[in-house]
Amino acid sequence: MNSSASQTYLKTRVNIFATQLFTDNRILELLDMPLEELSGTFGLTGIIESPLSPQKLNHALEQSLLHSLMSDLSVLLRPLDGTSRVLLIYWSRKFALFNLKTLIRCKLNGLSLEEISSYLHHLPDIIRLPHEKLLQAENILEMLHLLEHGPYQSIARQARQVYEEKNEPFSLDAAIDRSYFQGMVKYSNSNSQIDRGELKELIGMLTDRQNLLLLLRYRFMYQLSSSETYYLLVPFGKYLDRNRLMELVNLDSFQSVLEKLPPKLSRIVSGTTNAMQARQRLDFSLSREMRRLIRFSPSPATRALAYLVARDTDLKRLNALLQGKLLGLDSELVHEALMPPALQEAA
Amino acid sequence: MFSTLPMKHLRIQLLTGDLPEASLILAELGVFAPDPRPILETELPSIPGEDYRHLYTQARSRFDKIARHVAYTDTLDNKEVHAVSEADLQLTNDWLGEVWSDCSEFEEERHRLRDQLHSIDELEQTLDNFSNLNIDLGRLQQKSRFLEIHIGMVARTQVKQLEEAVGLAGYLLYRFLEREARTHVIIIGALDGESAELKSVLDTAGFRPLQVPEALHSEPEKAKTSLQEQQTDLQQRQQQLESRSAAWRTSIARHLSTAAQTLRRAAPYFQVQNAARNQGSLSAIQGWIPAREVVNAEARLRQKLHNPLVLESRNPTEDERPIVPSFISRSRLLKPFSLLVKQYGIPRYGEVNPTLLFAVSYILMFGMMFGDVGHGAIILISGILARRKLGSFTLFAVAAGISSMVFGLLYGSIFGYEHVIHAIWISPMSDPLYMLSMALIWGVGFLVLITLLNIINHLQQNDPSGALFGENGILSLLLYGGLLWGTFNIYQDGAFGVGAAVVALSTLVALFAYKLMGTASPPGERILVAAIETLETVTGYASNTLSFLRVAAFSLNHVALAVAVFTLAGMMEETGYWITVVLGNLFILILEGLIVTIQVLRLEYYEGFSRFFAGDGKAFKPLTL
Repeated sequence: MNSSASQTYLKTRVNIFATQLFTDNRILELLDMPLEELSGTFGLTGIIESPLSPQKLNHALEQSLLHSLMSDLSVLLRPLDGTSRVLLIYWSRKFALFNLKTLIRCKLNGLSLEEISSYLHHLPDIIRLPHEKLLQAENILEMLHLLEHGPYQSIARQARQVYEEKNEPFSLDAAIDRSYFQGMVKYSNSNSQIDRGELKELIGMLTDRQNLLLLLRYRFMYQLSSSETYYLLVPFGKYLDRNRLMELVNLDSFQSVLEKLPPKLSRIVSGTTNAMQARQRLDFSLSREMRRLIRFSPSPATRALAYLVARDTDLKRLNALLQGKLLGLDSELVHEALMPPALQEAA
Repeated sequence: MFSTLPMKHLRIQLLTGDLPEASLILAELGVFAPDPRPILETELPSIPGEDYRHLYTQARSRFDKIARHVAYTDTLDNKEVHAVSEADLQLTNDWLGEVWSDCSEFEEERHRLRDQLHSIDELEQTLDNFSNLNIDLGRLQQKSRFLEIHIGMVARTQVKQLEEAVGLAGYLLYRFLEREARTHVIIIGALDGESAELKSVLDTAGFRPLQVPEALHSEPEKAKTSLQEQQTDLQQRQQQLESRSAAWRTSIARHLSTAAQTLRRAAPYFQVQNAARNQGSLSAIQGWIPAREVVNAEARLRQKLHNPLVLESRNPTEDERPIVPSFISRSRLLKPFSLLVKQYGIPRYGEVNPTLLFAVSYILMFGMMFGDVGHGAIILISGILARRKLGSFTLFAVAAGISSMVFGLLYGSIFGYEHVIHAIWISPMSDPLYMLSMALIWGVGFLVLITLLNIINHLQQNDPSGALFGENGILSLLLYGGLLWGTFNIYQDGAFGVGAAVVALSTLVALFAYKLMGTASPPGERILVAAIETLETVTGYASNTLSFLRVAAFSLNHVALAVAVFTLAGMMEETGYWITVVLGNLFILILEGLIVTIQVLRLEYYEGFSRFFAGDGKAFKPLTL
C-alpha cells in the first residue's frame, strides 16, 4: 500500500472500530443489563460461567478484554510504518510494564513461579517481556539487568538506578511510570510533521491526566515532599506545564490544587474530594476528547492512538461493570463509579 | 526415505519411582516422543514430578547464567548413566545457586570498581575545570554551619527537572561540566533541615556524588597524588579481582561440568511433562515410537529397570493420524535438502516424504538453468573451501556445482565460451525452440509425478474420494492428460481431436459435478463457485506447465549474458578484454547463480509442494540425552 492508501485505510479502519466505543447512552444501557445478557453481548459467557475462583475469574476477564484490545492494535499497526508505528507499539508497552510491576511485587512477596505466572497477562510478542527469564531471576536487580538489553532498556536502567539507591518498590513503580511517559513524549516529538502536532496534543492530554493523578496521590496520600513530587512528574502536559506543576506541588491541600488548575481541567474535577473520584472524571473526559480526535484529527496515527486510548478506557469500564455485577455490588455504586453524577447530568 | 516411518503408540506402566530412569533409557534410545494428551486422566489423575520440574527449571536457568561466564566441558561419561534423583537435583540446584551468587558478586564488584574508577576520572575532569579559579572545592564539600553543598553527576536528560525540583526545596543547582551523557553539578542551599528531602530527590534522580579530596586547596599536589594513588589502588584491586575470579572459575569448572551432566541426565524426566501420569506408586508414560523400535525399547527397559513393567503398543487410530508425529529417516546426504523442505513444512504422518524428490529435481534443474563447466567448477571448489562455514550445506554446493558442470558439458559451455569444448548434447542458443520444448516436457513430467504423489498421499490418508475427485486427484490428472493430448493434436494436425475432447470434457464435467456437490451455498452461488474452481484447475495446470519454460529461459539467459560480456570485452584491448571477461563471469556467477537458486526453489515450492504437500505435519521430537 502506498502512503495515502495506507492513511485512508487506517482512517476507515479507525472509524469502523470507533462504532464499538461506548456512548453515554450505551453505558446507561449496559448498567441496566443483567449479568447474563451483559456477558453474552461481549462474548464472555464462557468465562463468566466457568468454575473459577473470584481472583482467577477477574484475571480471565481482564485477559479476555485485553486480548480484544490487542487484536485491534494489531489491525491498526498493519498500515502504519516509521515513527507512528513505533509510538503505537510504545503506548501498548504499558501493559507489559503492568506485568513487570506485577513480577516485581510478586517476587518481593516471595510468591511461587506458578502463582506469579497466573497473574501475568498474555501479550503479543511485539511487546511481550521475556517472562521465563525474568521469573528465573534471583532478585529484582537481576531482573532489571535482564531488561537492559532490548526495547525496555531505558526504563529498566532508570528503574535499576532508583532501586539501587532507594531499594523500595514504590520508587521503582514511580520511576517506571515516569520513564514510560518520558518515552511517550520523546516518540511524539520524533513523528512526521503531519502527525507531530496532533500526537503531541493527545499525549499532552494523557500526560496531564497522569500528572494530576500522581500529584494528588504523591502529595496527599503518600505525603511526598513538593520537590520529590515534582521530580516524579513529566512536565510536558497540554495544560499542566512546568510552571503550573511547580505551583501545584507547593500547595498543601487537595482542594487548593483543584482550585489552581487551569479552567479546562478545573471544570472536570471540581467538586471531587479524593484522587479516585478525580480519576473517574478525568477518564470520562479523556474518553470524550479521544472521540473528538477520532472524528476530526487530520492525523491518521493520532486517530488510531485516540481510538486505542478510548477503547482501553471503555474496556476498563466494562470490566468494572462486570466485577460489580459479579460481586453483587449496589447498582447505584457501580452506576456512580462508571458515570460520575456530574457527568450523568451532562449525558 | 520415501515416506514417514510407521509409528506405534506406546504405553508403559511402571512404578512411579522408576519414571526418571525409564525417561533416561528412552532418551538414550532417542526414539520416543512423549504424548501429553490426558488419555489416562481417569485412571491416573495426577501428574508426577512437579517439584522435580521446578528444581530442574531453576537449576537449568542458574546453570545457563553461570555458563556465560565459566568455561566447562559437557560430555557424558561413557560408563553407564543413571537418572538423577530429586535429592541429587536439589543438591545441584543449591550448589548452582551458591555459585551464581558468587558469580553475581564478582560482577557487582567489577561494576563497583569500574564506577569508582570512572568517578575518579570524572573528578579529575572537575578539578581541571576548576583549576584556574580560586575556588576550594574541598572546602565546599566540608560540613558548614550554614550551607549544605553537594557536588556530583546526574544524567544530562534529567538535569533541568532536577534543577527545578531542588529549587522547590530551596536549593540552587549549578552546572559546571557536561561529559557524554552526564552533567556535573553543584547543589547548594541553606542548612535548614531540608536535607532529608533533598537526599530523597537526589536518590530518585540517580545523583552520583563526587568525593573531592579535603586537601585540594591547601596542598593541591598532595590531593592529585592522592587521587592517583586511589586510581592505582583501584586498578590493583581490579587485577586482584580478575585473578580471584579466574581462580574461582578454575575451581568450579570441574564441578560445573558435573552439574552439566547431572542436568543432562535430569532433562528427559523434565521433558516427559504431562506424558507421565500416576496414582500413588503406579504410573504410566505414553508416547510415539517408530514401530521398528518397539522391541528394542522393551528389551532395554526390561534389562535396565529392576521392577516389573507392562508395555503396550498399538497402531495409531484414524482420529489420531493428524497428531501422530512424522519421523523422517535422517540421511546425512539429504540433510541440506531436508532443511529446505522443512522451511516449507513437515509432511503429515503417512505422507510421501518429498526430500529425495526435492534433492534430485533441485540439483537437475539448477544444472539445466546454470549449465557451465567453469562456473560449476567454481561453485564446487568454493563449496569445498568454505565447508566449515557451510556445514551440512557443503553437500548442497558440491551437488549444484557438479550438476552445473555436467550440463555445461552437455551444452558445451565453459565460462561463457560456447566454442571451446564441443557440446555433447546441444548449445542452448543454437535451437531455442527445442530448448523450450524440452523444458515443457520436463515440466509436464514433473507435474504428472507430483500429481501422482498427491494421489498416493490421499490413498495413504484413507481418502479415496480426495484421490479421485480432489484437487490434483485422478480426474484432474486425466483432465491434464486430455488437455495435453488435445494440444499435441493441434500442434500435429491442427485440430483438438475427438478422443482428447471426450477425455477433457468428461473429466471437466465430473470435476464440476463433484465441486457442485461439495459447496454448501445457495444454488446460484454454488454454480458460480464450482465453475470458478473447475476453471482454476485448468488454468492452474496450464500456468504451472508454462512456468517450467523458465528452465530453458535461464539456460538461454546464461548464454545471452555471456555474449553481452564478450561483446563488451571485444571492445577493449587485451588487458581490458581479460578484466571484462573475469568481472563479467563473476557478475554472471553471483547474480545469475543467486537468481537461479531462488527460481528453482520457487518452482519446487510453488509448482511442486503446493500440489501434494500440506506441510502441516508434526515433527517427531524424541526425548534425547
